[in-house]
Amino acid sequence: MLSILPSARRILRKLPLILAAGLLSVGPGLFAADGKKIKAAATTGMVADLVRQVGGDRVEVDQLMGPGVDPHLYKPAATDVTRLARADVIFYSGLMLEGRMGDVFAKMARSGKKVYPITENVTKSRLLEPPEFEGHYDPHLWFDVSMWAECLPTIITALSDADPAGKAAYEKSGAAAKARMTALHEWCLAEAAKLPAEKRILVTSHDAYNYFGRAYGFKVVGIQGVSTVTEAGLSDIAKTVDFIKEKKVKAIFVETSVSPATIERVSKDSGATVGGELFSDAMGAPGEIKGGHDVGTYEGMVKYNLSTIVGALQ
Amino acid sequence: MIEPWAESGALYGWILAMGILVGVSCGLVGNYLLLRRMALVGDAISHSVLPGLVVAFMLTHSRNIPAMFAGALVAGLITVGLIEFIHKKSRVKPDAAICIAFTTLFALGVVMTSLIDKGGLHIDAECILYGEIAFVPLEPPVEWFGIAIGPQPVLLMAGVALAVVGLSVVFYKELLVSSFDPGLTTSLGFNAAALHYGLMAVLSVVVVSAFEAVGAVMVVAMLIIPGMTAAQLSSRLPVRHGLVVVHSGISSLAGLHLSVWLNCSTAGAMVVMGALLFVLAWLFSPSDGLVWRWRRRGSDGSGEEGTVASPGGKV
Repeated sequence: MLSILPSARRILRKLPLILAAGLLSVGPGLFAADGKKIKAAATTGMVADLVRQVGGDRVEVDQLMGPGVDPHLYKPAATDVTRLARADVIFYSGLMLEGRMGDVFAKMARSGKKVYPITENVTKSRLLEPPEFEGHYDPHLWFDVSMWAECLPTIITALSDADPAGKAAYEKSGAAAKARMTALHEWCLAEAAKLPAEKRILVTSHDAYNYFGRAYGFKVVGIQGVSTVTEAGLSDIAKTVDFIKEKKVKAIFVETSVSPATIERVSKDSGATVGGELFSDAMGAPGEIKGGHDVGTYEGMVKYNLSTIVGALQ
Repeated sequence: MIEPWAESGALYGWILAMGILVGVSCGLVGNYLLLRRMALVGDAISHSVLPGLVVAFMLTHSRNIPAMFAGALVAGLITVGLIEFIHKKSRVKPDAAICIAFTTLFALGVVMTSLIDKGGLHIDAECILYGEIAFVPLEPPVEWFGIAIGPQPVLLMAGVALAVVGLSVVFYKELLVSSFDPGLTTSLGFNAAALHYGLMAVLSVVVVSAFEAVGAVMVVAMLIIPGMTAAQLSSRLPVRHGLVVVHSGISSLAGLHLSVWLNCSTAGAMVVMGALLFVLAWLFSPSDGLVWRWRRRGSDGSGEEGTVASPGGKV
């Protein structure tokens, strides 16, 4: 009874679409050669963006986690299960980024479903791991553009497997994506080089930027640890404040998916300004323009983050 | 009404089954917890599993489910043991004993986590132990003799539910007497302490299994709400057991529909529906519903503020 009204409303809302689709389908050649689009589901915005780049017109990408969502703590809605069940192929980031949800995906993959952690074929030696716990890799590798580009082959293979007719198309758009990412990586290196090496210090609320720091020569200080749950300890805060004063760091940064309280405290105590809000575990909303960049895309988000950092530290 | 079923009946069927199984297992144990004034013990265990998770990780260097489950189970057993020990050996009341035990264990877990978190590692129950009921149908089905039976978490929870039902039938008399009158239990020749620890051990197994299957929100609520709803309607234990089963069925089905309608968290919606059933029972209970009391007060003018019903205890 509860769901009668909304379903009727939903159909009414979609009525123009349904009619349009009916009309369009009369005309030939308007859809991909073999008729239907492949349905791909993706977890975070960064994963969805890569899949869109490779998939192009042949793939319809359904992104589960919206802007500002912390993937460690994502709480699925009731219809997520149908979205995942309907998908021809599922992509997730992997390396425990998605917490328990990642376990479910791993089990689905083992049972032969088309479910792929896109980080699975990244060069293992390039992954960062805490010294005491080998194999528990840092999952935030999308901020090193050259490493995120290493996820492309997995996506190309997976899509070609789900849709063999599109293999050539996926390889072509995959190569184009690879070229764009290489250009973006070069852009980042040049942008970072605007700062002298001793000024490249990034203080943020959690350790999501270790790959970023390694790739573009920043010393990264995260106050909270990798996870977004652990609260910052008092000694962490005191140490960070001393460090900022000693190195005369001009600005520190808050993140869109983590509470800014700790960073604001550190800013007050150390005299460093809050240099802006960086994207970490989630991208912006589709079409959202910040600082002249479309932060709803991976490329725009990377450019926005780096130019914000460089601008504030100069 | 049929929206969840028309297209993806099998998917939502497993979610519904899981909701009912968790509701029945937690609800039956909850009936005894209410009588023993230990309703919050589920909430306590949801916190005190943390040190167990950390120790299990340090021993196995792995965050996989079996290791975490074992750690959580041991921590749960230690929690209920500690609660009983504090309560028995001091003048601390059960509710305060629960608080002392779980806050201490949770704090211990936080200290341990922050020590190992220096290496940039991430351990917390939300992320590595708690399951999600919405994902139950995505788990690959278990096969017996080549026939797909169903998702593994549902089968495990069905085993737990069967065990709980079986134990409450076998030990019906003992649990009934000991829940009301530990003194009488001993004089009848039953071992009250053993019964209590046994019940608490079963509770730990149920709670940790259910955490792993559907997460904390639902488990903590379903230990209390079905039992309290049943307590509004009857003072007889067998009837309450039956009502708990009915409650699980209605709240799971209505909650599933609510969550599909609003596209929100399924576990949350099932709890909200369960709470709604409690409010209905509270208002319209044939024996002492709030509405009848208001009407009586309206007609004869005498208020009943003086009578404070003792929830769960009046049997």
